[in-house]
Amino acid sequence: MTDQTANTPHSLDADQKAKEAYFTASQGQLIWARFKKQRAAMIAACVLVFLMLSGIFAPFLSTYDPTIAGKNKDYTNGAPQFPKFCDDAGCSLRPFVYGVERERSMATNFRWVTKVNTEDRKYIHFFVEGWEYKLFGFIPMDTHLFGAPEGFVHIFGTDQSGKDIYSRTLHAIWTSMKVGSIGVFIAFVLALIIGGISGYYGGWVDSILQMITDAVRTVPAIPLFMAVAAFMPPELSAEARFFYISLILGFIGWPTLARRVRTHLLTERNQEYVLAAQLCGASSGHVIRRHLLPSFTSYIIVDLVISFPYMVLSETALSFIGLGLKDPVNSLGVMLQNVTNADVLLNYQWYFIPVIFFIALVMAFVFVGDGLRDAADPYSDNNK
Amino acid sequence: MLQFAKFVLTRAVMALITLVIVSLVVFSLMELVPGDCAERYLAFKNTQGSSIQIANELAAERVRLGLDRPFLTRWVSWIGGAFQGDFGDSCILRVNIAQLLGSKFYISLGLCLASLALAYAIAIPVGIIAAASSNAFLNNGLRLFSYLGLAMPNFLLALMIMLIGTVYFGETLTGLFSNEYRDAPWSWDKFVDLLKHAWLPIFILGWSATAFALQTVRALMSDEIGKLYVTAAAARGVSGGKLLWRYPARHALGPIVNSLGFDLNRIFNELPIVALILTLTEAGALLIEALARSNDQQLAGAIIFLLTASIVTLNFFTDVLLAVLDPRVRKSIIR
Repeated sequence: MTDQTANTPHSLDADQKAKEAYFTASQGQLIWARFKKQRAAMIAACVLVFLMLSGIFAPFLSTYDPTIAGKNKDYTNGAPQFPKFCDDAGCSLRPFVYGVERERSMATNFRWVTKVNTEDRKYIHFFVEGWEYKLFGFIPMDTHLFGAPEGFVHIFGTDQSGKDIYSRTLHAIWTSMKVGSIGVFIAFVLALIIGGISGYYGGWVDSILQMITDAVRTVPAIPLFMAVAAFMPPELSAEARFFYISLILGFIGWPTLARRVRTHLLTERNQEYVLAAQLCGASSGHVIRRHLLPSFTSYIIVDLVISFPYMVLSETALSFIGLGLKDPVNSLGVMLQNVTNADVLLNYQWYFIPVIFFIALVMAFVFVGDGLRDAADPYSDNNK
Repeated sequence: MLQFAKFVLTRAVMALITLVIVSLVVFSLMELVPGDCAERYLAFKNTQGSSIQIANELAAERVRLGLDRPFLTRWVSWIGGAFQGDFGDSCILRVNIAQLLGSKFYISLGLCLASLALAYAIAIPVGIIAAASSNAFLNNGLRLFSYLGLAMPNFLLALMIMLIGTVYFGETLTGLFSNEYRDAPWSWDKFVDLLKHAWLPIFILGWSATAFALQTVRALMSDEIGKLYVTAAAARGVSGGKLLWRYPARHALGPIVNSLGFDLNRIFNELPIVALILTLTEAGALLIEALARSNDQQLAGAIIFLLTASIVTLNFFTDVLLAVLDPRVRKSIIR
């Protein structure tokens, strides 16, 4: 890239400009320029932004309250309803779903049986008023993107207590993001302190800290995690549980990160440019701030992005076995808690719809992390 | 030879130190838990209907269990027992843990090692081929598979397989033994029966390990394949599989052997949850039982310690194996 030579006179000027822009670009601009070139990572980034936005605006986008307050008692274990524009009776510009009738009698073996009434169209309206919520936690609102004021619409179906799976999925994405962020943040602070001490002092401090870090790393994280989580007092409120879980995630995620911080510090500390800065009379605060930190912030950010999906997956696994988050808080693990029973497996497969979103979320994070890693590495151009 | 013995000895001592640190972590964790074994046992007894004078009984029970001794003494006695395979009694069931775990732990270990073997049996040849070929389709496919292995954790895979199994085949595919063998003593037939059921958990546990191993093998091979000694060997007329196997693969082998321990760690991570979904009756399920249902810290600690000990042991063996394979490793005692 640096030794581009201009062949034609009129491109010389533009080329010069491009070169200038390249040489004066900040690290962030360079990373962004390299990142933009990777198609897979860009697609993943778009998916990620989309999922994040749908998490942030979850209350606005969802049709019903995801907690037990929003249950639809007339449509428990209900199948997904697909909005339609056309049917045998003709088309309409406004999408609609069919109304349903349920009955339970001797004839149906005392199971609830749903009958779709194709005569009865329930039209979907946009920006309808529904349950009240607080957007971003402080703007009170009661407008929702869509809904069926005359009846109900559950595009992903409902679970056994009649809660809307679509609304729960959106809220669950947000929960996962929150848990992951807090967990990553705590792990990061711990890693920075422990790895920093280890890398800064070196010598026997480093040896002992490394020994401990390695020992902690050998313990399988999820069983350890389960052990800590299992002994949470059961009377904790859902919110307290949430913070406790994120805390544990952070406490267990630090060793890998700490090792990276230490390695970066150890290698960077002895680089010539640090020596040069020191010889120029720079104070150690200046060296750390202006030289050492910028040299590995990009790596650290990449590590954080990469460790994010592990946090999310650990939370999911933990909630799934009932040791993590509990009901009023929605997360994928909570939503999947009951799916192993045969009734769900045979009759209510729409319980699995959220899984798709989570695979998308984790995949997006992994791709973005990988893309960022390639982009942040100034030597990656040489390999290609 | 002397050097080799010295190397093995150093590694063994380091493994022991790691185990001691781990035991301290696990033991402090067991201590940090609110409520101790005596309280738990008495609470359990209370639910069983016997009336107890709580305060007196509690103190007596603590003395009987030796819980009144200082932390360090108890830790030393715990770890002393642990190295002899004696983890004391379970908090609630009052059965010796070694007896309770029995063959279950070995079944778990066997399952995990089998999935590790499966992962590398697939990953090594496929990874080498992928690194050597410039087929974009193959490479992108493998990349996608690796990412899927990460994004779709084993327990989700297990759920999906159960879903498909029930919907399309009408079978639940769960459990480790057929009914008639569940409580039978070990015999050849029981072993065969185990193998018949074990393929699914082995496959599921090996799934993401395979994806990771594939990525590692491919990355290492691609690094080595571009090096000059490979070109030199090719120029001497070595070609095809022989070239790959004799030159770059041998160099890439070291880090792969080294990563075995961490892969086992990853498999252990998934074990309890997969065990729960597939209703396997082994140590992973027992761990969940100990944690989620009965809060049995003694049992949980023992299982976690055993899992870690197997990882440390594996790490020790891979280190020794590496030293046998690679003289450079032998010479540097502490890297």
